[in-house]
Amino acid sequence: MPDITASDIIRLYLKPEFATTLSADQWQKAILILRYQQLLARYAKHFRKKGIFDQLHEYARHHLTNAEIIADKQYQQVHYEAALLKQQIGNIGSHLVFLKGAGYSLSGLPVGVGRTYSDIDILVDKQYIREIEKTMTLHGWLPEEMDEYDQKYYRQWAHEIPPMKHATRGTLIDIHHNIIPIVSMRAPDINILFDHTVMTSDGYQVLDKAAMTLHSLIHLFYNEEFKYGYRDLMDIHILMSGNSEDYWQQLLDLAKTCGFEKELYFACRYAEGLMQTGVPDFVTTQLAHHKSRMQSVLDFMFTNLLSPSHPFVRRPIYPLAVFMGFIRGHRLKMPLSILVYHSMNKAWRLTVEYLLGNTFFDKQKTQ
Amino acid sequence: MALQNFCLNLYPFSFNIQTNLKLVRDNLYRLYPGQVSLNSTQVTDYSLSLSKGSGFRRLIKPQARFFCDQKEPFKPLRQEQGYALLEWGMNWTIAANEMQYVIAHSAVLAKDDKAILFPAPPGSGKSTLTAYLAFKGWRLLSDEMALINPDTNIVTPFVRPICLKNRSIDLAKSWFPEGHFSSVAHNTHKGDVVHLSPPEQSWKNNKSNARIVAVVFPNYRAGKELEIYQLNKTQGFMQFAENAFNFGVNGATGFRTLTKVIENAESFEIFYSNLEEVIEFLEQDIIDHA
Repeated sequence: MPDITASDIIRLYLKPEFATTLSADQWQKAILILRYQQLLARYAKHFRKKGIFDQLHEYARHHLTNAEIIADKQYQQVHYEAALLKQQIGNIGSHLVFLKGAGYSLSGLPVGVGRTYSDIDILVDKQYIREIEKTMTLHGWLPEEMDEYDQKYYRQWAHEIPPMKHATRGTLIDIHHNIIPIVSMRAPDINILFDHTVMTSDGYQVLDKAAMTLHSLIHLFYNEEFKYGYRDLMDIHILMSGNSEDYWQQLLDLAKTCGFEKELYFACRYAEGLMQTGVPDFVTTQLAHHKSRMQSVLDFMFTNLLSPSHPFVRRPIYPLAVFMGFIRGHRLKMPLSILVYHSMNKAWRLTVEYLLGNTFFDKQKTQ
Repeated sequence: MALQNFCLNLYPFSFNIQTNLKLVRDNLYRLYPGQVSLNSTQVTDYSLSLSKGSGFRRLIKPQARFFCDQKEPFKPLRQEQGYALLEWGMNWTIAANEMQYVIAHSAVLAKDDKAILFPAPPGSGKSTLTAYLAFKGWRLLSDEMALINPDTNIVTPFVRPICLKNRSIDLAKSWFPEGHFSSVAHNTHKGDVVHLSPPEQSWKNNKSNARIVAVVFPNYRAGKELEIYQLNKTQGFMQFAENAFNFGVNGATGFRTLTKVIENAESFEIFYSNLEEVIEFLEQDIIDHA
């Protein structure tokens, strides 16, 4: 197959006319990369909006259309699930905020167009979590099976409770009471974010655009896993594109109040660097002092982790970037003592899985 | 065996299959006559892999793992079951990705361009009936999935081997000793499983669409004489919808398509043990009048 590079995948989005020049061979690779990154539907919708969809190679149209149909169905489904949740737990406490993917879809903003996700994230008042959990069980939502270690991890240190799954529809819900783990000591006062919610025209609570951007970038840069790094960077790019000065000022203020200015700096740096987002100069200037002394190391790590990823296009050095991202993310989230304990536990499992096969810890074993 | 790439050039979808299992290679060549090539540069719709598991475990209890690109939808199986795992993986790949047909869990067989759908859950005797018809002059379009063109009653073939289970394996082998059978996958979640390649005529016409003239829900009952119940449109629709797996994803299109199929076809539920009686009914009462 002729080569497709990670930057070609970015170029397909930023300069859609480039997409009309790709051969079937090149599309085969591009489709695999985009499917792996869960971006087929987003690209499909983008090509349609830019009016070039019909000029694409037949091979591409076939696979992009499949993804579009699935995304359209999910868009419909999330409205259905949101309506049910609102009916079932909407009156417990005063907040039922839809976050991340589901929030993007419900908000009607461009970031939700063609965006797919595997679970619905909601943010609720911490003091009502038990009641919400109980009520949801009555409506057919069951906690996902997990071992004691993971249970304890969730209950003691996390910012969410173990996910719940609907017994018949299979929908997964993540119930959060904060946006980052409590154990990190950096979890913001959640009332600040509750003050930044808006009601959609269909009557659902979502974060306003500045808070949505902040949450999106915290989620990406305050994390240890980057499998969908490029997709997540695109979310930020789309959220940040075409905004007024007001939005940027709000975003700066909010980042400062919540203590995530550094993450905002990273988001602006890499959105601009990889996707030419058009971050206003006054924002770049205000954040410039967050440049790290080890910036070139961070640049190496993030450029690798946030570029379109697939075994085809990864550089040989990619595993090092993953390892660095993993260590950095965990270090951010946990005090050192807990990190060591958690890492030993996970390392032990990886060793066992390596020796005895990677399904050893699965509850439902193979025959 | 070293890793090899095979191109399985089926209609309407093509697969690249990477494997290091001799069992998989041998079964592919036996069951897809003329459809397999070693040319790995060809553009294919899906990149699959069916390979040995990793870790020391492979020395004690050898595994086979299926991947659709980087995704592993199923737990590994014993290596001996590797070929069956690949066939199921191909079904999964199509069901999970292809949304431009309304897909029903159904066998499809035709005389000329007149097709009958046999939607049925596992255990109803669908595959035995399919094999029997395919080797008695009917054209197999599919054993597992009916690819219905949206808003029409036209079905597109997806010719692949027939999946036989347990007792039907020996029956089929005694009926059609000349057939190309795969090796046996013992004790899978469906019991013992063997795949059977359809006759040449089905492969030759594997691009010819057909018009759906009837929907027949088969129920095998040992020792039973043929009983035929004609279903009204509502009953036909409800039973059919239960077997349509991307009906929900396709939303309104799925609904319109199933309605169109049922409105333009006769629907029957049959109980039988003798396949000759079934063939007589299908040919004389359905095909001759359609």
